[in-house]
Amino acid sequence: MEFIESINWAILAPIVIIQLILMAVAIIDLVKIEKANGPKWVWALVIIFINLLGPIIYFIFGRRS
Amino acid sequence: MNQWMTLFKKEMLEMSRNFKWIWVPLTFIMIAVKEPLTLYYMPQIIDSLGGLPEGAVIELPVPSAGEALAASLSQFNTFGVLIIVLITMGTIAGERKSGVAGLILVKPVSYAWFVTAKWASSMILIWFSYFLSYFLSWYYVGVLFKFISFTDFLQSFFVNGIWLTLIITVVILFNTFMKSPGAVGFISIGIIVILSLLSSSLPHLLEWSPALLSAYANAFIMGSNFPDELLPSIIVSVFMITLSLLASIAIFKRRELA
Repeated sequence: MEFIESINWAILAPIVIIQLILMAVAIIDLVKIEKANGPKWVWALVIIFINLLGPIIYFIFGRRS
Repeated sequence: MNQWMTLFKKEMLEMSRNFKWIWVPLTFIMIAVKEPLTLYYMPQIIDSLGGLPEGAVIELPVPSAGEALAASLSQFNTFGVLIIVLITMGTIAGERKSGVAGLILVKPVSYAWFVTAKWASSMILIWFSYFLSYFLSWYYVGVLFKFISFTDFLQSFFVNGIWLTLIITVVILFNTFMKSPGAVGFISIGIIVILSLLSSSLPHLLEWSPALLSAYANAFIMGSNFPDELLPSIIVSVFMITLSLLASIAIFKRRELA
């Protein structure tokens, strides 16, 4: 896996951290919110498994009451 | 003015309760910073995806620093615009639907202040995210490729920002006379797409079009100078921004009283 080794992780780390923060904030909000726009477990799957876009989709479409 | 500050503070509070202050800047940063990174790692990405016959050699020209930054700038005009429309399409229409607007407007609140407070709060959120993400992208380009002069960065930032401001204002304008947030978003995106398509396909006829501001900023950051048409198109944009803002106040007044 020389590809993995050739990457400078100091450069990439902020992106990974941002992604994790977005995911964490979305999950915390999903747990706290009274009612999401649709079943909560589906939103949890969307947030966790759709890379990059999942939390954004949740914040735009999931929070409508 | 006191009343305006109250309305403005209410908008700010709502934005922080919606986590907009967290996720909008972070999203902007991701879409902007992603571009220089993928350009920089393009050879490795192609290598690792494989599928190339043994011994195939692809010579990729190394992109210049300007090209990498211009790539981020064009991300703001596709994905960024989409996010701007999606988060502002409900500001007034959604409140009217849920009845919050009615609750506020029973009190003797100036309609102009109601609309401008909403406009100002969206502006601050978007400009903050836009600056932060564009600045980080500039920094990344500097680290990975070559530092572009900061004044060039600021100039392209403001020129493109005027176009984004116009988009926010147009979305607010449609907010004032449509009830459903979905319709507002759909029509705003339609108008923006038509405007940019027309301007980019007929640039010699529509030199003053505000939609060309992003193209001018793009060309500028790639190394060429701003064309002479820059100033007229900025003036046209500022004129359109004020006009749509005034129109949205007027329309909102009439719709609410009727």
